[in-house]
Amino acid sequence: MFNRQTKNTGTFNGTSDINTKVDKSKRSSELTVALAGNANVGKSAIFNQLTGLNQITGNWPGKTVERAEGTLHFNGRNIRVIDLPGTYSLSAYSIEEIVSRDYLAIEKPDIIINVVDASALERNLYLTLQLLELEVPLVIALNQMDFAAKKGLKIDVEKLSKVLNLKIIPTIATAGTGMTELLSTVITEATKEKKKITPLVYGKEIEERIQKIQTMVVSKLKELCTIYPARWIAIKLFEQDTDIVGKVVEYPEGQRVIEQVKALTSELEKVHGETAPVIMASERYTSASKLTKDTVTIETAPRISVEQKLATITTHKVIGYLILAGIVAIVFGVIFTGGTFLSELLETALSWSAEGIGELLSGVLPAAGVDLIVNGLLGGIAAGITIALPYIVPFYIILSLLEDSGYLPRAAFLMDNVMHKIGLHGKAFIPLLLGYGCSVPACIGCRIMETHRERLLAAFVVVLIPCAARTVVILGLVGQYVGLGAVIGIYVFNLLLVFALGRVAFKALPGEPVGLIMEMPDYKLPSAKTLILKTWSRTKDFVYVAFPIIIVGSLIVEGFALSGLMPYFVDVASPLMVGWLGLPAVTAIPLLFGILRKELTLVLLVTTLATVGLGITALSPVQMIVFALVVMIYIPCLATIAACKKEFGWKKALSIAAIDIALALVIGGIAFRVLSLFM
Amino acid sequence: MQFRHRHGNSKYGLNIHRGDEISLASLPEGAKAIITHTIGGHCVVLRLSEMGLTPGSEIKLLRKCSFHGPIEVEVRGVSLAIGYGLAEKIFVQPVKKN
Repeated sequence: MFNRQTKNTGTFNGTSDINTKVDKSKRSSELTVALAGNANVGKSAIFNQLTGLNQITGNWPGKTVERAEGTLHFNGRNIRVIDLPGTYSLSAYSIEEIVSRDYLAIEKPDIIINVVDASALERNLYLTLQLLELEVPLVIALNQMDFAAKKGLKIDVEKLSKVLNLKIIPTIATAGTGMTELLSTVITEATKEKKKITPLVYGKEIEERIQKIQTMVVSKLKELCTIYPARWIAIKLFEQDTDIVGKVVEYPEGQRVIEQVKALTSELEKVHGETAPVIMASERYTSASKLTKDTVTIETAPRISVEQKLATITTHKVIGYLILAGIVAIVFGVIFTGGTFLSELLETALSWSAEGIGELLSGVLPAAGVDLIVNGLLGGIAAGITIALPYIVPFYIILSLLEDSGYLPRAAFLMDNVMHKIGLHGKAFIPLLLGYGCSVPACIGCRIMETHRERLLAAFVVVLIPCAARTVVILGLVGQYVGLGAVIGIYVFNLLLVFALGRVAFKALPGEPVGLIMEMPDYKLPSAKTLILKTWSRTKDFVYVAFPIIIVGSLIVEGFALSGLMPYFVDVASPLMVGWLGLPAVTAIPLLFGILRKELTLVLLVTTLATVGLGITALSPVQMIVFALVVMIYIPCLATIAACKKEFGWKKALSIAAIDIALALVIGGIAFRVLSLFM
Repeated sequence: MQFRHRHGNSKYGLNIHRGDEISLASLPEGAKAIITHTIGGHCVVLRLSEMGLTPGSEIKLLRKCSFHGPIEVEVRGVSLAIGYGLAEKIFVQPVKKN
């Protein structure tokens, strides 16, 4: 149908080139379209339909944490589509909201597609009314029409379109319904003469004040009016929007404007007994509510559906927790048993082929070169494959099932209580769960938390969760040679540690904890197609990030071994390794290179022990547990540190790494002494 | 922190008397109520109203989690989970069944 040119700037590589302004005069045939809407209304699904990209979709609010961009070709035009993160409002409440509204106001896309959930029209129109105030051309994609029908809702689209003075296209993004119509409407609306946008008119007493402020804004803040619409500035000033107030104060007459606005608002606030922002929110909701009442009729009385029954059971006071425990047990069961089995199978296959290649090369290259290629390059690729496939893939399949069905918010609901103990709320459970797969997406996933403080707190605990790579080390060493009991012990200890540290960090970081407000989506049947696409897309992302580091890492390790510097390093680290942790001195080498990739520690442990003539079984069970504990805690891997740096800056990323190193050494040393008493 | 207590709200046509209002946290499961006001910091009140919990709106309490866990309500056709601490800051007047 459409000719697509795709470029993925999805969550992983994350280099969104949204900030490069498009010179419209040069590319007159190019259109920029922004997708805006509430969280979890199907924006990503529409984005994928339009661009053919695999932006990760899922049935939980807040999963698009970074804008994605794609281009497509339709009717002779290049169309850039930008998927903005979901927001409920355009106030200065969260970073995403400021970023989204600044993008819309400053970069001025040719048109916005406001994706509206037809099954929750009233709440969605709240944002639509605010988008209208930004005075950018707007088209509504009335999405999830199938769910609205299922709920027995009939929407008079024509009437709604007339009242709002906007084009509205009913769509079902998951099935691709309405996409061609949406695109052609978008093009006609974006290219035709700009029509007058009719923003919401507020109640008389509010409208009078906004008019007064607007007159002031137009005369005294001329420059700001070239960026934002004057009426919008007036409304935001009236709402005491921190971001806009901050911008206005910088103007010579800004302070006076603010004072005059304050006089106008406080008058009204006294009458209403509410603050101005709440008055405005109420006004908008009153309008949204009226619009909904006028256009939506409930055709069939809603009856209790299977989905609702499921929602009741899975959030039940007792049964809900039992189900949660069962699901967690299944997740780990599949990863542990299935993963280990597959991993071993692949490892044997790959080591055979590596040996074969080594023999072939030995005729052509000198011994050092063969080592570098076979142990370094091929060993690295093998390590990547044996991790990526057997552990990550099953985890991502289960995760996709949980998120597409809508279970994750239920888990967050049940865990809210527990998470409050460490100063976070239920939503933090989602990145925590992601952490068992890979710390990098988990770290980025902390953005579902509202404030910077909470994101940092969540990231701090999330990096301590044993990811698939660490699971490999724990299972491959402790599971293989000590027993499953010890493995479970390590995981339980890890959870206790996470909670203890979370609590300490919560007390240490200044600021108030934020309560939970989260939308609970209806349960949906996950589709096999999205499940496969999503697992594939996530695995691919992991491979792109991890493989280069793994391969370069093992090349460095091999080079280091050939350089003959190893003994010196071992000597330096020896007092710490032998004296404090009770490990053989050479284990310093796997720990050093484990910073690149944690699963490398296991491979390197075997090879470095071999250099001093020891087999892996030369380690005592206590030593194995200590080694696994240190690997689990001691430092987030390079990719995770990079993700942390991106989110919080170098200082905080390195602080997290430093704290983890100190912690690992303390715990390792204590574990060695305590465990030696029993084992 | 800014606290406000009001006992009447003529704007939304509510006739609320002292004693009728209870916190959302103490509303029983399945009950319907009308929000009268929310207390707490500026940010909290704004966030609640932006999610549709504005004074005058009708809500239905769907379920409560045990041990002072979150509360799930239906407001404006949407299900929302609200932490217990926040629910304590939302005051409602229960709607009496006919």
